[in-house]
Amino acid sequence: MPSAAFEQSLVSRIQLRFRRSEAVRGYTLLSPTLTIILLGLLFPLMILVTLSFWKQEYVDLIQTFTLTNYADFFRKKIYYLILYRSIRISLLVMLVTVLLAYPLAYFIAFHVKWNKMIWIILVTIPFWTSYLLRVFSWKVILGYNGVINSGLMSLGIIAEPLEFLLYNPIAVVITLAHAWAAVAILPIYVSLEKIDRSLIEASRDLGESAFMTFIRVTLPLSLPGVIAASLLVFIPTVGDYVTPSLVGGTRGIMIGNIIQSMFGKALNWPLGAALSIISMITVTLVVCLLLGATQLFRKKVA
Amino acid sequence: MKKFNRDDYIEQLATGKMSRRQFNKVLASAGITTVMLPVFSGPVNAAASDHPNVFTWEGWDANEHHGEYFEKYGEYPNFSIFGDEEEAFAKIKAGAQFDVTHPCSYKVEIWRDAGIIQPIDTSRLKYWDSVIPSLKNIPGMMANGDNYFVAADWGLTSVLYRPDLVDEMYQEDETWGILWDERYSGRLSMSDSLIDGVMVAAIYGGAADPFNMTDDEVEVTRELLRKQLPLLRYYWTSPTDLENSMAAGELVATSSWNDAYTALKAAGVNVKYMNPKEGAMTWVCGFCLMTDADPAKLDKSYEVIDAFLAPESGAFSILEEGYGHSNIDAYSLVDEATLADRGLSRDPEALLSAGIFQVPIGNEAALQSMFEEVKAGL
Repeated sequence: MPSAAFEQSLVSRIQLRFRRSEAVRGYTLLSPTLTIILLGLLFPLMILVTLSFWKQEYVDLIQTFTLTNYADFFRKKIYYLILYRSIRISLLVMLVTVLLAYPLAYFIAFHVKWNKMIWIILVTIPFWTSYLLRVFSWKVILGYNGVINSGLMSLGIIAEPLEFLLYNPIAVVITLAHAWAAVAILPIYVSLEKIDRSLIEASRDLGESAFMTFIRVTLPLSLPGVIAASLLVFIPTVGDYVTPSLVGGTRGIMIGNIIQSMFGKALNWPLGAALSIISMITVTLVVCLLLGATQLFRKKVA
Repeated sequence: MKKFNRDDYIEQLATGKMSRRQFNKVLASAGITTVMLPVFSGPVNAAASDHPNVFTWEGWDANEHHGEYFEKYGEYPNFSIFGDEEEAFAKIKAGAQFDVTHPCSYKVEIWRDAGIIQPIDTSRLKYWDSVIPSLKNIPGMMANGDNYFVAADWGLTSVLYRPDLVDEMYQEDETWGILWDERYSGRLSMSDSLIDGVMVAAIYGGAADPFNMTDDEVEVTRELLRKQLPLLRYYWTSPTDLENSMAAGELVATSSWNDAYTALKAAGVNVKYMNPKEGAMTWVCGFCLMTDADPAKLDKSYEVIDAFLAPESGAFSILEEGYGHSNIDAYSLVDEATLADRGLSRDPEALLSAGIFQVPIGNEAALQSMFEEVKAGL
């Protein structure tokens, strides 16, 4: 039966082609991740985009295309003001976190000779408890009867508890900087660790001071880690709403709180969706600006 | 296929005898099992889901409120907890299924308009006849002759303050104005909500009907809230925070429900609960039947409501939680002195009618965005 033989060879040829094609193999390998991204990210994002072009009237969603929500963002001062404030707070958090993380990462990479792993594990300790618990523990530390206040009072340094510690934007920055510390330390450590030590020796041999060696060799070579750390801290903190609502007081509200209120108290899901989209776009723009700036810096140094 | 044996598997794995292909096979089957688990385990869990899904406030799931239900079935209903009605509403709109929910009366109208609750047949409730008469006729609970709400618990929103830390005059002249007193800047708090926060400013500002303000009255309210913002330590969302701050003296006065007063007094803190001259607010919360309630659990859903309405459950509210209860018989289980200490009496009708009763807020959306703007410092 020639036809059967032909069929068989066709099937095996297709199978062979299938196995050999790198693209197919690649996608097969990627498929679990792709499925999750598709279901867990792209699909909800599409819902969000659609929702942002609808309109809320009392309890009903008016499902006709409208730009009202986006117009509202520019018409009412509150939204861009809060978005601006959130980005400012997040940039500050990013700066503080990276500035605090760099020396530690530097220390682990260059000065810890034995048991580096233990140091790395120690760095991740804040991540062993839940995010909410970390925020709450800052409430306990900074609070009116908190660790700092009762400590200072028992030492007789202050008579009345300091009230400026908690419930303001500074408390938000402190809490977030601690909560995201490990996320900043690890990438910086990795990029510092990768630096070829002979380059640093060469720089010193050629007469550069320790400080200039750091500026001209170590820092530029560790920039990828610094950038990664900055983005990893900046992007998630812009949308954070738990921290500001727990320690931010009346002055520390961020865009996440407004979005949350739109999906809850204010019962305006479309406006909430539009605000989410706008803040995502804004974050992307700020990230592009940051990347552009570091590119410039790199060219200048090199 | 060879039957899977756990010990063999571990043995092979430990001695390194397992081929890569075999290992992958085991991993794959474990993966498939995990993925399919939610699909196939549904009917197996049916026993636990025989009971209605009750969506309520933290604390109202206490065993004492569901004693009669437990006596009959030997198990408690399935509880889920919400922080406020808006959160509950968002979850329900997003598709969560519940049989019975526990909103406050001023939300019933919007919930009905949103189509998420169904009429309740009060003749199926054995304690309906004992419900305080004025609580059977709350604005918004009836529509087209149908009843959508069964009152269960009630309380006050008023000023909670520390008499040892504020001017003595406030003990004579009880007023919401203490929350605008600049001498206590940074040591005041307000509820982060329309009904218990913004409405306080409306009442203090002298709005004729705080729940239906004219444009001028809204402006007065906005100005008051603006003036108050820099004086506040924070807008409170959690009664626990509030109680801690009041006990520590971090706050000297705040808007509050009666529960914080009862809890702080029990803890021996020197606190007083005002009866402001502008009027305290009274509120009622209770039960609604959801539109997508499981018809097979309807009888039990009514029994959940009945159990909560029982006098013993009411006495627990009054004694332990400091709230009023809708069952008139609950009050005779508590002695007069305790009632007086809780700010209640054998005649709850008088108390209810003395306060400003919380009803649905007109133009809620505009007021909410006004409040957001004030909070943003505009």
